[in-house]
Amino acid sequence: MEEAGKLSRYLYTVIVLFLVWIPLTASLDTQELEFGFILALTVGALTYPVFTTRGLANLHPKRVAYAIAYIPYFLWAMIVANLDVAYRVLHPARPIRPGIVHCKTILKTNPGKLGLANSITLTPGTITLDVDGDDYFIHWIWVPDEVLQAKSEDEHAEHASEAITRPFEKFLKVIFG
Amino acid sequence: MLKRSLAIITLLIIGYWLAQGLAGVPFGQDKMLVGQYYLNHVEAQTGAINVVTAIVVNYRGFDTLGEVTVLFIASTGVAALLWGRKKKRTAKTEGSVVLTTGISLLFPFVLMFGGYIFIHGHLTPGGGFPGGATIATGFLLMYMAFISYEIPHGKFEVTEGLVGMGYVIVGLIGLAISGYFLFDWIWQTWHWGAGNIGRLFSGGFIPVIYTLIALKVGTELSGIIDNMLKEEVKE
Repeated sequence: MEEAGKLSRYLYTVIVLFLVWIPLTASLDTQELEFGFILALTVGALTYPVFTTRGLANLHPKRVAYAIAYIPYFLWAMIVANLDVAYRVLHPARPIRPGIVHCKTILKTNPGKLGLANSITLTPGTITLDVDGDDYFIHWIWVPDEVLQAKSEDEHAEHASEAITRPFEKFLKVIFG
Repeated sequence: MLKRSLAIITLLIIGYWLAQGLAGVPFGQDKMLVGQYYLNHVEAQTGAINVVTAIVVNYRGFDTLGEVTVLFIASTGVAALLWGRKKKRTAKTEGSVVLTTGISLLFPFVLMFGGYIFIHGHLTPGGGFPGGATIATGFLLMYMAFISYEIPHGKFEVTEGLVGMGYVIVGLIGLAISGYFLFDWIWQTWHWGAGNIGRLFSGGFIPVIYTLIALKVGTELSGIIDNMLKEEVKE
C-alpha cells in the first residue's frame, strides 16, 4: 500500500481527532469547539506519522458505509458467540474440544490485521494468539471435524479460515484494504 | 520467625494507636471551618466551578509550584543517576503487529484525552497533573510497542523549561500587578471570563496554568520513562 501525501494524512488525523472531541465533550458550545479544533491541529501535527498511512483515502464513502454496516454485523456475531459459549459452560457434558488452528488472511494492511485479530478475539470461542504476516494462530474452543481431519496444512488452513476469518474479511477487506 | 512476629506485633500496636486517635474524629458530620469559606466564595473569587483545582492553583498556588519543583527535581535526579556515556534502547523484539498497530492508532487519542483533562481542570475532576500523566502514558505506550522509538529530546527539554518558566512568569505578572506572587490577574484584574462561568473560557488563570503544568508533567514523565528504559551500551 503506497503512502498518501503528508497533507492528506495530517488532515485525516485532524478530522478524526476533532470528530472524537465532540462526543468526548458532549457539547456544541463554540468555546469547546474552538479549543478542540486547536488541540486537534496540535495533536495531529505531533502524531499523524504514526496514525495513518493512507490519509484521506480512509474517508471514501464506500469504506465509511462498510465500517458503519460492520458494527451491527459484528455485534450480532458477538452475541451469538457469547450464547454459544454460555451453552458450553452450562451444558453438563461440557462439550469443548480446544485446539490451536492456523488461518490465512487476505488482508494486506496493518490496521486491517488488527481489526481482524480483535474481531476474532472478541467473538468468544476464538482467541488470536499470534499474527505473523498472513498467518493467524487461533485458539478455538471447538475444533470441528473437517479441520481435525484435514490431510495437509493448506487444507487445514483453508477450512479454519473459512469458519473463522472469512465472515469478517468480506467487510474488513473493503474498510482497510 | 521471631523477627516476623515482632514486626507483626509492632504493626498491630501502631494500628491500634492510630485507630484510637481517629476514633475521636466524628465521621460524616460537618466539621468544615475553612472548607465552608472555599465552597461559598469559590465562584466569585476565582471563576472556577471545581473547588479542588481552585484551591490547588489559586488559594494555595505555592504548594502546586512546590510540587512542580519536586517533579522537576525527580526527573533531573533520575537523569543524573542514570547518566551514562552511551545509552541506547536495547530491546530485541518488536511487538506483534496487533500491538504496534493498536498503539499507533491509540496514541493520538491518548494525547487528545490528556488535552481534554488539563483544559477542563476548572470544570471537571482532573487538571494539570492527571492530564500530564495521561500524555506521558501515550509516550510510554509508544516506547513499549516500538523497539526504536525515542521522544524528541531536544524539543521536550526546551518545552519543559519554557513551560516551567511560563508558570513562574504568570506568577510574577501577578506580583507586578497587585503585589503578591501568583495573584490571579486574569480573573481579578481583567475579569476575563466573568460572563460565562461554567463554560470553557473562564476560571481565571487556572486553565492557563494547568496547560503549562500538564505540558511540564507530560514532558518530564516521558523523560523519566526514556531514561529508565535505556541501557548502557558497551563498545
